[in-house]
Amino acid sequence: MKRRHFVAGGVALGTALVVPAARAQSKAAIPPQLAPNPAEFKKAMADFVGRAKPLETGLKLEVPVLADNPSAVPVHVSVTLPLSDQLYCKELIVLAEQNPSPLACRFQFTPFTGSAEAAARLRLSQTQAVHALARMSDGRVLVARQNVTVAASGCGM
Amino acid sequence: MSVKPPRVWVSNAKPARGEIVRVRAQIEHAMESGLRVDGDGKPRPRNIVRRFEARLGANLIFVWEPGISIAQNPYIEFTFAAREGGELVMQWADEKDVTLEARKTLTLA
Repeated sequence: MKRRHFVAGGVALGTALVVPAARAQSKAAIPPQLAPNPAEFKKAMADFVGRAKPLETGLKLEVPVLADNPSAVPVHVSVTLPLSDQLYCKELIVLAEQNPSPLACRFQFTPFTGSAEAAARLRLSQTQAVHALARMSDGRVLVARQNVTVAASGCGM
Repeated sequence: MSVKPPRVWVSNAKPARGEIVRVRAQIEHAMESGLRVDGDGKPRPRNIVRRFEARLGANLIFVWEPGISIAQNPYIEFTFAAREGGELVMQWADEKDVTLEARKTLTLA
């Protein structure tokens, strides 16, 4: 076959087959062990928030909008409230809403830390929202969220 | 856990009193989630780094408890205020209780 025929054939195939196939696959491609666990996500959120009223200020969550490598997505969290010996961040959690194990990690700080900032790298099984929740020493709970689009097929964990 | 020593970067080993010091650290670890299967379809046993802690002298300054959603070769970055000089001791422990340790000496400028 001449190259140009091959290329033309490929383009025709691409428009005819690949696009619908990819769409159909994106729904069914997640193996059962990687299925999201909404019950655990809700529980982790509720356990952390408790009876506090979550505030959407004072916590900065930085995650790329498009994650080109879903097996290592950089996440950076920091409390932007002015901290002192009396007011500090006690703990901070990061949740990946659609991951099989939504509670990605927990950071703990002490009065001695003097700041509340941390960064790590996540595995994301699919396109989803990443949440961060921080508990301050005065009982306030701060929340932040960011949607992340995962390139390719997501991480196999 | 790997035998390679942790890689640690500290923004300033001679900070002024109260200066915010940034630390970046990474170890080699597969962070096996327990969800993967080997070639025969058998699940690989779960073993992740379950705890990282950093102390400055006698004071605990930072704790990290990763879950299975943390990437392999776990990377951690944190900051703290240098209130005193001393040794910054970082410890990792995985679920098989293998531990790794790294130390950096901080002296106040």
